[in-house]
Amino acid sequence: MWIYDKKLQYPVNIKKPDAALAKLIITQLGGPDGELGASMRYLNQRYSMPYKEVIGILTDVGTEELAHMEMISAIIYQLTRGLTPEQIKEGGFDAYFVDHTTGIYPVSAAGVPWDAYTFQSTGDAIADISEDLGAEQKARKTYDNILRFVDDPDVRDPIKFLRQREIVHFQRFGEGMRIIRDHLDSKNFYAYNPEYDAVK
Amino acid sequence: MERDKLLKQIMAADFAMHETALFLDTHPSCRRALEYYGKMRAKREELAAAYRRQYGPLTYYEVEGSAWSWTDSPWPWQNKREG
Repeated sequence: MWIYDKKLQYPVNIKKPDAALAKLIITQLGGPDGELGASMRYLNQRYSMPYKEVIGILTDVGTEELAHMEMISAIIYQLTRGLTPEQIKEGGFDAYFVDHTTGIYPVSAAGVPWDAYTFQSTGDAIADISEDLGAEQKARKTYDNILRFVDDPDVRDPIKFLRQREIVHFQRFGEGMRIIRDHLDSKNFYAYNPEYDAVK
Repeated sequence: MERDKLLKQIMAADFAMHETALFLDTHPSCRRALEYYGKMRAKREELAAAYRRQYGPLTYYEVEGSAWSWTDSPWPWQNKREG
């Protein structure tokens, strides 16, 4: 089960609202490589994972992703606070605004609502961890692209923190993959599913 | 105490705290609820300390000692059938 800590993982203190930035950064909440999908991916993949160390990584990274959802939401909240309808329109945030005002709702930068089809939970340890390695790189890529459009240091700072976390998670999942491979039967050199076909 | 029995008591105390917290969110000055919350918290702390000593950490904040014991105990969805 989970408990809530009344704090962010890393501080978010944005003084200057900017609807155009909010429109881009919201993709890390509800986009194809965002934090909502990341947490759902890892937390759902845990159950059939046969190795305790890898369950540990999936649990602890999945939990951290929930905290990242909260950071992205805090960034969107602070970037859209106190804007006039004119500023909303100028920033291209009007299409979002008409449905959600300045409430937080998971969509991609192009406005597509979050979809569970953006991740898998295959019940196959190697398939899942391979996806997780890719997911961390894809999220890092999105943060790199966001940083190309951001000058405000108040926004850059938490985004850079989140970007670094993707790199750390990639390292940990790499170690998870090594642990899974170490457990494979020596005859299973084609890496059949150790969760279902050949648990050792 | 047996692991399952102790865990069940912690779950009961946690649930009592949680249910009372929901009530207190909308009734923050209810003295009876506050007293009950305090009582359950004391019970929870005592039970969790006993569990930690015998069976290991419930959260990674509680890990102590020279080895990382966080992943050693069974995960909550792994029941006895898995052995």
